[in-house]
Amino acid sequence: MRLFGIETEYGITREDQDLVDPVVESMELVRAHLTASFERCWDYGGEDPHEDARGFRVSGLQQDKEEDEFAKVDAHRPFSFHEMKSDLVLPNGARFYNDHTHPEYSTPECRTLLALLAHDRAGERIVQRAAERRNHALGGSHLQLYKNNTDFHGHSYGCHDNYLVSRSIPFPSLTAGLLPFLVSRQVIAGAGKVGVEGQESGFVPGQYQLSQRADFMETDLSVDTMHNRPILNTRDEPHAVREKYRRLHLIIGDANMCEYSTALKVGTTQLVLELIARSAAPVLELEHPVTAGKQLSRDQSLKATVRLKDGSTITGLDIQEQYYLAAQKHLAGLDQETDWILQEWAITLRLLTGDRRQLVGRIDWVTKLWLLETFMQEERIGWDDPWLASLDLEYHNVNPDRGLFLGLEAEGKAWRMTSEQDVESALVVGPADTRAGIRGLCIRRFPDQIKTMQWERIQFSGGLLPRTLEMGDLFEPQAVQACAQIFESAASPMDALNTWNREKESR
Amino acid sequence: MMNYISIPERREGPGNPMPKAPSPSDEGGGPKRPETGSPDKDNLLKRMRKVDPKQAERYRQRTGE
Repeated sequence: MRLFGIETEYGITREDQDLVDPVVESMELVRAHLTASFERCWDYGGEDPHEDARGFRVSGLQQDKEEDEFAKVDAHRPFSFHEMKSDLVLPNGARFYNDHTHPEYSTPECRTLLALLAHDRAGERIVQRAAERRNHALGGSHLQLYKNNTDFHGHSYGCHDNYLVSRSIPFPSLTAGLLPFLVSRQVIAGAGKVGVEGQESGFVPGQYQLSQRADFMETDLSVDTMHNRPILNTRDEPHAVREKYRRLHLIIGDANMCEYSTALKVGTTQLVLELIARSAAPVLELEHPVTAGKQLSRDQSLKATVRLKDGSTITGLDIQEQYYLAAQKHLAGLDQETDWILQEWAITLRLLTGDRRQLVGRIDWVTKLWLLETFMQEERIGWDDPWLASLDLEYHNVNPDRGLFLGLEAEGKAWRMTSEQDVESALVVGPADTRAGIRGLCIRRFPDQIKTMQWERIQFSGGLLPRTLEMGDLFEPQAVQACAQIFESAASPMDALNTWNREKESR
Repeated sequence: MMNYISIPERREGPGNPMPKAPSPSDEGGGPKRPETGSPDKDNLLKRMRKVDPKQAERYRQRTGE
């Protein structure tokens, strides 16, 4: 069963201020989405970032010294925790809130790549429309948002891809099967970056990288996400019935502008998970995965090799090809979407070694590199020119009047997999075949009767007893649609819950 | 509770609020090739030249996840 979603932390700035307060700006941005005052709704009961999938619990998470200083200041702000978070659940089943001083849009859970792409694009539109309202209130186009992962000063923020995985797969199998794939995934899904950075160590211009995030990966496995960042995050927060499921929470990925890159990133990862479930993933052990990730990111020729534990060496493209061949062998013909992923994965790997220009508008790092090289030629500037980092940043601006990628796309030169109709629909309703659709439906039908919400449950107010719709194991599409029909036609949430509970017992 | 009325992108859905999820074969699904193979450099270069060379230098964020 496939279920995935993407969380994107957006960069936020005010161009009319020298010192921007990201806490206030992120909070105000999220609230600009509302037509009424904010009231708390999100239930944090299902969130525990201290649980580690390796079977233990940590007492605390690491953050850098600078963040410690910020946290002291935040503690004295005139806002409550809930006010600062401004956590919204939207009628399309998504979550929109202020996370770690970045506005974050979490797509609803999706079962198909096309649904995910439409909801990722809907997220771009929703944050940009909130920015337009905020700018209207500010009296100018001061606020800008960036769907990227770095500020070019050593600070990174994430775009996390999440997958529902059976808990029957041992975590060490996931680790072994995923690490080489994730280290090399940037070859097909990197967003491209000008310069080299390190956490707390500044920025060095002059080099183009495949990935925005490779510089910030510091260890193979860790439960941390803000410091000592891992290739494979071990946070065990399933947002589903714990005994049956895991949520694989990947923080290594870049925020993609190209729909095609997003589809390949998530689609190939899903196939690798299915290979691991069948014990059919390639057996490759990198000697130093973190170093390998940085080496591959800094080599746009794609000829750099990294060392395996057996002493041999391999390129990033060859790692990807081994995974592709295993997926082709074991998963071809599974369904239409699987075949599409396999086909495009093969085409991309072939073009990366051939006519790479054909990937402009499809793969972000290739697209950005093409734009920058064209500009450098025209302006007669070199890789050490600071203008290039600014152009890199502007590639990710979600303002359609300014963003370089959106400019390319507006000319019809980037591959679209979604139609405007898909995106318009994703702005207002969640996927019909996942619990996110029910979440959105309840927001639309019963907004005044919801006490709290989170990914796996909705608690309704009224009556003497708490009434809760549990969705921790509601993944089978027919069951989702049966539940949705009940909530669509019931006169009240209580009636719907009673009917749904009876139906569940009879199933 | 939150009020979700009167902003266009948050309007109530049509009769069936849980429409069929699109599949790659539906209208609108599947990749669409650009109409020509080569992007138009002139318009993009114009847009790129408008970017302030110092923009990235001023851009500061706090660490996220």
